[in-house]
Amino acid sequence: MFRNQLGNLSRVSSQLQRISRVELMSTEVQPAESANSVINEFRTAVTSPGEHSALQLAKFYKIPAEEKKQIFAGGGLPKQYEQQIKTFTEACLMVRQPALELLNYIKNADLSKPAVRYVIYGDNGVGKTLTMAHVLHYGSLNDFLLVHVPWAPNWTKRPKESTNSSTQEGFIDLPFDAAAWLVHFKTQNAKLLQKLQLKTSKEYVWSKRESTPAGATLVELIEHGIARIKYATETTAALISELKLLSTGGQCKVLVAIDGFNAFFHPITRIFSDNKQLVTPDRITLTQPFLDITKYDWTNGICVLSVDKIAMTEGYMDSYMPRYLLGKTGFEHLDPFVPVHVTNYTDKEFLSCINYYMDRHWITKTQPGFEEQLKFMSNHNPYTLMQIVRGL
Amino acid sequence: MSVYPQHFVDPIINKSLQKEKAHELSHIPIKPALNVSTDSIFYGELKQKFTNYILKEGNSALARELLTKTFEIIKRTQIERLHLAKGDKGSIITDAETLLINAIENTRPLLHLSAIKRGGVKYQVPIPLTEKKSYFLAMKWILEAAREKERKVSLPEKLAWEILDAACGQGRVVKRKDDLHRLCESNRAYAHYRWS
Repeated sequence: MFRNQLGNLSRVSSQLQRISRVELMSTEVQPAESANSVINEFRTAVTSPGEHSALQLAKFYKIPAEEKKQIFAGGGLPKQYEQQIKTFTEACLMVRQPALELLNYIKNADLSKPAVRYVIYGDNGVGKTLTMAHVLHYGSLNDFLLVHVPWAPNWTKRPKESTNSSTQEGFIDLPFDAAAWLVHFKTQNAKLLQKLQLKTSKEYVWSKRESTPAGATLVELIEHGIARIKYATETTAALISELKLLSTGGQCKVLVAIDGFNAFFHPITRIFSDNKQLVTPDRITLTQPFLDITKYDWTNGICVLSVDKIAMTEGYMDSYMPRYLLGKTGFEHLDPFVPVHVTNYTDKEFLSCINYYMDRHWITKTQPGFEEQLKFMSNHNPYTLMQIVRGL
Repeated sequence: MSVYPQHFVDPIINKSLQKEKAHELSHIPIKPALNVSTDSIFYGELKQKFTNYILKEGNSALARELLTKTFEIIKRTQIERLHLAKGDKGSIITDAETLLINAIENTRPLLHLSAIKRGGVKYQVPIPLTEKKSYFLAMKWILEAAREKERKVSLPEKLAWEILDAACGQGRVVKRKDDLHRLCESNRAYAHYRWS
């Protein structure tokens, strides 16, 4: 009944052995050891995003483990991608056109002019978050202070705790989320904050007994916010206004990266106020500083924002275009911005991805024409490809 | 037990094989193909059969998803082992379907016991199994072992472990097969009751 399949089996195993034998002989087996040992047609040894150019298009570059830990410890890569990184024992990103376009803009930007807003948009699963991750890596290597929100809808859809704001009437505080964000900010910028020694410009009074004096370092401010979770939201606001002042004063460069930015302009959230009414995002105190920093009234900064269909809730997911997702207020808030369209894989990128999967033993079935089938079934979509390949 | 007479042959799904055999089969009646069978890299006869056994209440989308997740977990564990392995990397199979086939082959029983009444006494008589039945039992046992779990553990997780165990000739399912074989062996004295 299944005999014909078993015939295939021995062939598959012999093929497997052949592949592994080749690998044993070549020096290209262990990419984990050193960065410059592997240069396949789908890999590049250039690990600094600043040096990426069209030459490296559709090739994978490796993020060193400690840099990955520093930048993405508090989120920033999709969960399934993290899982994949764990399985493949290396964090690799593909150099793609949208990221290169963005990096090119950022490199050539005149930072003395008001902050330019870049809006990443695209259909589900095309790699918006990973494009942003690429830019973040660039930012962290090039002395940008990262103001990174890994996934903004987490605040509006599933906050850890919501309390009424003590300072602003009718507003909602998300103390735990704010503290978590402060921790994230601190880990991402730990080295740079140490180096720059940025100081606060004015005194912040939290309560009768607690205050942060003018001239305290930003690290002290952040640590106070983390220690006193009650004031975390206000600390976030203070920190971000300080950053704006400092960067306008030319003391530092700031890279703002907010994933799922359109969640701030969604008509509703899933948070209830005291009288059982759904709160709108503009009534959440935590969103205000991030709306503030995406304005163009400061310099020495870059805003990379992404708009995403899944940041919305059902009934608002008809199109992935920025105008639709941001709505009128959001669009006017960001206008003028530079749109960056992330698309599905091109043929070259697709083949490179397949090769990479094969290299990592993720695809082991290689009948003739299987690429064509995968291409057809995934419609070149990176996420769909990842999904259909997992059961192969 | 088919509605088709015996001279009907099974359909050929593989496209390249179809061309080869087209001339040979041109005048022979052929059974219709199943709805689920395709000539794609995702199709495997045994895999398809196994999905059908996982199926509950006709929810085949769920059954397929469960098997896909199982394969994913198998692949992840095997690749992890591959990276951990020091020398012999060739012996580790990372292909989940191959492992499933190996597991089923390792757990297929050859004999089973059937109660036969002779002189008012029921004897447990060892009887050889047909190939089809043995495949059925193997898959059934693997699934039964996988479904016997804590509520917190998901089916794909447990199933993956059972398959991985069985594929290298260990685990509860292989033990179950060996136990059955041992019983058959101890009852060999009754074997002649099959025909006398």
